[in-house]
Amino acid sequence: MAKYLYNQEAVENLRLSDTSVLDRLVDFESAREAHLKKERAKKDKRMTIGEAVKTFVQDGDIITDGGFSYVRTAHQAFHEIIRQGKKNLQMIGAPNTNQSFFITYGLVEYSHSSYTGAEMRGIDKVYDRALKAGKIQILSEWSHGGVAQGLKAAQLGIPGVFSKQMLGSDLMRYNPYLKVVQHPLKEDKDPCVFVPALYPDVAVIHCHAADKYGNAYIYGPAVNDLATAAAARKLIITAEEIVPENDIRYNKQGQIIPFFYVDAVVEMPFGALPGSMPGCYYWPRQWWEKCMRFGGASEENNKAFCDEWILGVKDQYEFVEKLGGARWIAEARRQTKAAEGDNEDIDFSYEEYTLKHDSGIYY
Amino acid sequence: MQDLNAPANPLETLAYIIAQQIEDHSIVYIGTGIPMVAGILAKKTHAPNITLVYESGGQDPIEGDMPWSVGCPFTWRKSPTIMEMSYSFAQCYNGYVDIGFLGFAQVDMYGNVNTHMIGKDYHQPKVRMTGSGGNNDLSSLTEKMVLVGLQTPEKFPEKVDFITSVGHLSGGDSRREAGLIGNGPAAVISPWGVYDFHPVNKRMRVKSLTPGVTFELAQQLTGFELLKPEGEIPETKLVTPEALEVIRTQVDPRGVFTSMPAA
Repeated sequence: MAKYLYNQEAVENLRLSDTSVLDRLVDFESAREAHLKKERAKKDKRMTIGEAVKTFVQDGDIITDGGFSYVRTAHQAFHEIIRQGKKNLQMIGAPNTNQSFFITYGLVEYSHSSYTGAEMRGIDKVYDRALKAGKIQILSEWSHGGVAQGLKAAQLGIPGVFSKQMLGSDLMRYNPYLKVVQHPLKEDKDPCVFVPALYPDVAVIHCHAADKYGNAYIYGPAVNDLATAAAARKLIITAEEIVPENDIRYNKQGQIIPFFYVDAVVEMPFGALPGSMPGCYYWPRQWWEKCMRFGGASEENNKAFCDEWILGVKDQYEFVEKLGGARWIAEARRQTKAAEGDNEDIDFSYEEYTLKHDSGIYY
Repeated sequence: MQDLNAPANPLETLAYIIAQQIEDHSIVYIGTGIPMVAGILAKKTHAPNITLVYESGGQDPIEGDMPWSVGCPFTWRKSPTIMEMSYSFAQCYNGYVDIGFLGFAQVDMYGNVNTHMIGKDYHQPKVRMTGSGGNNDLSSLTEKMVLVGLQTPEKFPEKVDFITSVGHLSGGDSRREAGLIGNGPAAVISPWGVYDFHPVNKRMRVKSLTPGVTFELAQQLTGFELLKPEGEIPETKLVTPEALEVIRTQVDPRGVFTSMPAA
């Protein structure tokens, strides 16, 4: 039996036979319970990514995509989740681009759908094929803003928000969590959408620096990650570097995730690869073009591409070697600093990957 | 570097027409692709004092290269602030965005947008597409929306296969009655024409057509009955040689978004 009174029209449109699968995403009581049980003492939470995933990602969890598609996303941690072969995962995020890597290996069976794809580089054909083949079930359709508000509500410590987004659209007919309600102070008709606070089971957030207790610093767009960190029942931080606590206290003002949210701290230089990391490295743009264009073309292509880059490498260092090693590191750092205005402007030309032309160069 | 003497292609034309919608001293929410070109073109030509806003949260970046993505550092290059996603959309609701640009896979006679799926069966679509992203949020909240895309009868159907974002819903006052904010779409721009919406019934209407395109041709490219404006249909002002040079030398010199895809 489901715990909540879901939007029945959406339940029927999505053909959900057992709505209890929807419960945990909005189950505040169990999220609070999980938060109350977390370690309060300042303990050294450092471990390997293998241990962190083994301990804190369970089959059936609701996992979040983080960063912004391919900006500061914990891609390398996701690759470890794939290598460990977790099952029955639900995925949510705004965007939710990276669920397709999990779909490729059958890890994610349920999607809270907001956006998949890589902008102008194309639609996500892996998702398209998986949906048609019935390999994945959509549990809810969202706008980016709707997911952002649900996570923000969790961070604000409130049951939900009244939103003016998604009204009148088909998202309302395909999202069991959303209901139209009247503005309580208005006499005239004024429809709003009640967006419940969202509580994912587990989030992996890639940060620029963290101390061993879990205080973690983000530079550049935080997107939804500060809210997600507050909401998630379990939180793994991967960080470009581990710094002394005093470095966070004295030098890293701004976007900080506090240590008491955090269950595991993993030192993981290049943890955002193949995504970009503000201040650290620019995208291997050809990688994404190849992923969308070559991988998108067929299931076999996609499998071959993912096998090569995910199962075929042991860790992020091998990934860097495949991209071009030290030369790639130098170019990617130069590019990102130039893009941010922190060194002299450079020529951003590159040899684009097309099905007819693969230079094999990733910078 | 592009051939500076080649005639304008449809994407460059599109970028120019979009840029003409932007008034100086306004706050402009920019989606990925051609709207990026248009926003930067406007800033480099007739509207140097606009503030560009991007979905990654970047606000008012200083001038740089063409962003590779809306999350690219060029969208928040030395920004005074970068907003979290929920706050970034909130600025549309709160009245701190004047105009927004969005793409579509389908747009219908009332300016409703589909970026979800093509086909009649949600569970077995012909093609599943990206989903909403920020499309719905901007459409729901922004004072003035401009929709940008290619035009064929399939892309301009009478009813979209999935309403990702509400335009004027079912016409008349239906958008406001559904509780949405802002005035809805003001214009739809394709390489063949600029369309607006009838002030009362909110149906799509021809505003101006690209030179050489007749009303009959525009109608043939549309899956529903287009409204005709009163009097002579004006020609859309085409990209000037000066603006074309700015696009090719300063805005998108490598043709990231303005070179036509190879066949």
